[in-house]
Amino acid sequence: MQDLNVVVVFYSRTGLTENLALAAAVGAVEGKANIRLRRIPETASDETIAAIPGWRENHDRMSWEYIAPREADTLWAEGLIVAIPHWLSLSSPEVKSYLDNLAREKLAGKFAAALGPKGLDQALAAAGLTIVPPVVGADAAECARLAGVRVADAIRAEKFGGSGH
Amino acid sequence: MITIRKAKDRGHADHGWLNTWHTFSFASYFDPAHMGFRSLRVINDDRVAPGKGFGAHGHRDMEIISYVLEGNLAHKDSMGESRTIGPNTIQAMSAGTGIVHSEFNPSPKEPVHFLQIWIEPAVEDVKPTYHQMSFEPSEKRGKLRLIAAPYADQAKADGAALINQDARVWASELGAGESLTQPIAPGRFGYVQVARGNVLLNGQKLGEGDGAAISAESSLTLAGDGSDGGEFILFDLA
Repeated sequence: MQDLNVVVVFYSRTGLTENLALAAAVGAVEGKANIRLRRIPETASDETIAAIPGWRENHDRMSWEYIAPREADTLWAEGLIVAIPHWLSLSSPEVKSYLDNLAREKLAGKFAAALGPKGLDQALAAAGLTIVPPVVGADAAECARLAGVRVADAIRAEKFGGSGH
Repeated sequence: MITIRKAKDRGHADHGWLNTWHTFSFASYFDPAHMGFRSLRVINDDRVAPGKGFGAHGHRDMEIISYVLEGNLAHKDSMGESRTIGPNTIQAMSAGTGIVHSEFNPSPKEPVHFLQIWIEPAVEDVKPTYHQMSFEPSEKRGKLRLIAAPYADQAKADGAALINQDARVWASELGAGESLTQPIAPGRFGYVQVARGNVLLNGQKLGEGDGAAISAESSLTLAGDGSDGGEFILFDLA
């Protein structure tokens, strides 16, 4: 396998966005990339988490199954896919903290896809990443999968030339 | 010809949460003399600490079989499977066009000991599949229990996983003095991996973790050795 590395970073409360991140990761694997999945840590209080059905159990499970994004992951990866709920503000504490840290890293020449609210792609572009055009459609998981394929293809074209297909 | 691969000569890595022995080159263990045997690419003898495991990661074009010896393994994947397997259960995935999965030891106290087996598929880009089936310990005691086969009808009839390669995989447990004989067709190859205990392969002693690559043999006689016999995985390979 050619060495293409993609890290998928997501923030999820009840597992819906986690599933989009998984779909994007599958797409990247279909595009013959190695993948890592990283979860943006929770900042909400226990009381807030307890108030929403399904949040607590998914929080505990995801805390166990995923580690937080590290600079080593973006150093390793040539492509980054960020998945956050479309209703979540980019200025919410979880997302802002992640994006602020990301902006301090050296990301020039790397590719990114945004799965989330308006403005997420601009925020990633502002951090120096080259944005892979989004896939628009009714099936969010399928769009996420295709985004994963596109990011892997973009890296391959840049590194090795040609689409590989 | 039978070429023995001693347990202690395998690649080894102890990451704390994972203590693993690699029969063939894997991860940071690389030995050009041990890259696999025929279509058999990986046998990892893994012990995972309580509550630890392999986070979500991807595979493409590989037949992946897990065989648990002790403890439990919680599996989750991009095909929507979320299941726990223990001993006497076959877990087989055809990664095909691509899957993402995680495997964790769900126990807060007990380690999990399992063999992870990779077989290279004969065809690429198949639709990913997941198979899981359990069997009674008596089905492997003193005989071969088919766990994976390339023929849908045979796999289904024998309760084995279907794999995309001309290879068959069996599990067996032989008590001290128990034996069985399996023919090897002309031009075919075999591999024996001892999961635990001791077995004799055509009279040669194999201990826990030992493997044996088999070529140009017409028949294999396996016997339980030592005081308690042993458990092994047998491969018939093109």
